[in-house]
Amino acid sequence: MKTRTLVCLCGALAAWPLVEASAQAPALTPRDSALHALNRLAYGPRPGEVDRVAADGVMRWVDRQLSPRKIDDGPLAARERRFKILDYDAGELARVYVDAQRERREQKRAAATDSMTEKPEQAGPLEQRGRRLGAEFQELAVIRAVLSERQLYEVMVDFWANHFNVFFAKGADRFLTPSYIEQTIRPRALGKFADLLIATAESPAMLFYLDNWESVAPGATPPQAMRLRARPLFGPRPMFGRPPLFDPGHDPMRADSLRRQALARVPKGINENYARELLELHTLGVDGGYTQQDVINVARIFTGWSVRRPQQGGDFEFHDWAHDYGEKVVMGVMFPAGRGRDEGVRLLKLLANYPATMHHVSRRLCQRFVNDDPPDGCVDDAVTAWKRSDGDIREVLRAIFRSPDFWAPENVRAKIKTPLEFVVSAARAVGGDPDTTPRLAQVVARLGEPLFLHVAPDGYPEREDAWVNSGALLDRMNAAVALAAGRLPGVAVSLDSIVPATPDAERLIAQANAAVLSGTMSENTKQVIRRQISDISDPLQARALAIGLAIGGPEFQRQ
Amino acid sequence: MTISRRVFVKSGGLALFSLGLDPLFLARAAFAVRPSAGPPDRRMLVCLFQRGAVDGLNMVVPHGDPLYYRERPRIAVPEPDVVDLDGHFGLHPRLAALKPLWENKSLAAIHAIGSPDSTRSHFDAQDYMESGTPGAKATPDGWLNRYCQHDREHQDTPFRAVAFGPQLPRILAGSAPSLAIDDLQAFGLRAPQPAARDRLTRAFEELYAGSATGLLSTSSQEAFEAVQMLKQVSPSQYQPAHGADYPRGRFGKAMMQIAQLIKADVGLQLAFADVTGWDTHVNQGSSDGQLAARLADFGQALAAFAQDLGEKLRDVVVLTMSEFGRTVRENGNSGTDHGHATAMLVMGGPVNGGRMLGRWPGLDPADRFEGRDVAVTTDFRDLFAEVLARHLGAKDLAAIFPGFSPDAARFPGAIKV
Repeated sequence: MKTRTLVCLCGALAAWPLVEASAQAPALTPRDSALHALNRLAYGPRPGEVDRVAADGVMRWVDRQLSPRKIDDGPLAARERRFKILDYDAGELARVYVDAQRERREQKRAAATDSMTEKPEQAGPLEQRGRRLGAEFQELAVIRAVLSERQLYEVMVDFWANHFNVFFAKGADRFLTPSYIEQTIRPRALGKFADLLIATAESPAMLFYLDNWESVAPGATPPQAMRLRARPLFGPRPMFGRPPLFDPGHDPMRADSLRRQALARVPKGINENYARELLELHTLGVDGGYTQQDVINVARIFTGWSVRRPQQGGDFEFHDWAHDYGEKVVMGVMFPAGRGRDEGVRLLKLLANYPATMHHVSRRLCQRFVNDDPPDGCVDDAVTAWKRSDGDIREVLRAIFRSPDFWAPENVRAKIKTPLEFVVSAARAVGGDPDTTPRLAQVVARLGEPLFLHVAPDGYPEREDAWVNSGALLDRMNAAVALAAGRLPGVAVSLDSIVPATPDAERLIAQANAAVLSGTMSENTKQVIRRQISDISDPLQARALAIGLAIGGPEFQRQ
Repeated sequence: MTISRRVFVKSGGLALFSLGLDPLFLARAAFAVRPSAGPPDRRMLVCLFQRGAVDGLNMVVPHGDPLYYRERPRIAVPEPDVVDLDGHFGLHPRLAALKPLWENKSLAAIHAIGSPDSTRSHFDAQDYMESGTPGAKATPDGWLNRYCQHDREHQDTPFRAVAFGPQLPRILAGSAPSLAIDDLQAFGLRAPQPAARDRLTRAFEELYAGSATGLLSTSSQEAFEAVQMLKQVSPSQYQPAHGADYPRGRFGKAMMQIAQLIKADVGLQLAFADVTGWDTHVNQGSSDGQLAARLADFGQALAAFAQDLGEKLRDVVVLTMSEFGRTVRENGNSGTDHGHATAMLVMGGPVNGGRMLGRWPGLDPADRFEGRDVAVTTDFRDLFAEVLARHLGAKDLAAIFPGFSPDAARFPGAIKV
């Protein structure tokens, strides 16, 4: 009943979420609450947004963010239409990839016959097209974070993209990742956890990334037709721009030896990689109570979950011949012999609502939204909502945002922004308008977070010690100074409407404070800026320096 | 004894100075306390983490063991290709650049080393190897950082402990100052003129000194101190010595910049870099292929580093590590899955080189860990502790590896005594 009471309270006193807590703790003002919500559920406020949300009622804004479809996002949609990558479906992207590979083989062959010239390898036009599309896709993520009105939704897409991490530069994931984000993650970012889990398990991007696509029952042999295919074409190349491993070239001797190599590479047993990360990272957590034998049995259950070759579009495909039809036991649950693909789905549904999973995933959400070391109270609230709603992510989030811990003053500004959060919030603070070049995403990459390129399956870390270090801080200061001076590549800033240039130092500081830090600038920061601009006669230069220092300074690193 | 020599030298020197004595005399006396090849303050340790679990069996190949060939029909390194070390073990052919270092006794290898914890999770195992407390996740800091905390004898400069990369690794996390540098050349505030740069640097320094709290405060302090010192080094003009040729790419660059800091005499004592791409579940290759390409890059960077340092290698130990090894038997995809023990390399002047260290448990299934992996016969802490104690002169090993009782009798003998 506690929840219902809170719902009523929030409805009645929408501008003031902390009626109960305010009795003990120094409570947040409506403006503080609005800023806090915009820092956590969104990528920071845009100019004037704190006041708008505070006036409208922060809980009303939170509820609206939880139903993103009802929020008009027309301007972003118009911007998205400028991204060619969204016009490609998975099959077309696969073709881009295959074409680029063929081009590479031909280049290699040409280079081999012309062995006198030892020029450095250069990407051909088709490969460059593939790379351009990849870079466009990273930029698209930044653009959405900056421009979308559905801010919480974009935050959750980023959360899941890390929770269910794939590595954009691993072989076929170069063409599978865009559809993974667009078709697997985005439609389910605020749905049921079980649906998202199953979708990721069946996604070619994940099957490829964690090697499950070639995990087969020991002793299983593929049908003849399949064996003769140039299977290794699909082999992993861990970095961008590696040459293909298999080349059925002109030379018959060589072709023969390559065919033998290909046969030798036909998968011959299970691969535990996906099974282990499924348990450790996606669901139960590392202390979730499973054993090595459980990992093996989970891997056996997923034998045969594979993908088509890129030439055929690279879709999900269940390989009957590769599946282990024996009996398995996972964490004491019996999976009887003779079952095929459906036992994998059964296992995923079981895992999705296992208590350890609820706790593990809730904790990660609280780590993202509340504190690097999340208080037990808000994790418990999230787990309760999970149980009640059968793993409805929207309801779990609602519970977190209504948890007293979320609004506790000790958790306000307690988190350090990740590089993505820093760059996007800075662009938003100065009313920045990113262009469609990949350059703003490259800034995020330079600060340490190249998007979709975290090689390990744990995704980018949520803890401050992973992001705060001396080198990274200097990089942030440099980016801030460049942004304020209008020199940060990839984004246009129009400071005139936000902080008009003025020779009046106090006015300038007040406006920079309001625009960039929503009025939270410390006395020390004001003094430093005052001193720094005192001998600058050009108001434009003074403004750039003041805003650069405000964005690069310590207050703006927190959220 | 918790009084650091640094404090002693400072205060004692001051006292003597007031009596008209030369404080330099004291500094010399302090160095003379420890009988070692070079002044201990100049000894340096470079730790390299092969993230993703390197296949120790294909890096340091037990080519004298027929089981190795039986278990790996598709990925074993053929006997004629192996760069033999001692008749039983040999280097992967793409590590051939390291053979001269073995021959001049500045390279040793240890096999069957790993963690007493049996986890096969990359993240847990890396975490344990960096925290130095296998099995205990709550340890807040890394063992290299704890060494810095407990061994205050070394002059603290901003460059005492440097990690090359965009993020400070777990191994250096903790209360002692340490630095993460992605690229020496780009380190610092950027502005068109030196005067503007200095001004901007000062402004940010004041901002952080006055308003930053927690990690933001300590990290920014370290940053600005380092910027000051780097001004004197001019990293963009660096030329490797003795014709050293670092491989292109991240790792080669990191090794070159470590060499540069060592030669610049900025007080570097600990350097860390990581190198990825070892998680070879699929098509790992044998003498050629994926793993071979990674090893070539790795070996060439190490060899170039040794060549570049020349005489200075006398004071340096390079220690490689990886979170665990890989399965003895190749998997169904001509790759290897997560295993247990692996191999590590120790390189440098102080190294008791030209020898295989540790006890080889063999590949017989009965001798394996859980029947599938190379068993651990050396706890990684025994090697790490030896290097800290015998190379850097660390005394308080129990504080650096809590819950572990370091015992010189178990040291694998990597460092000359």
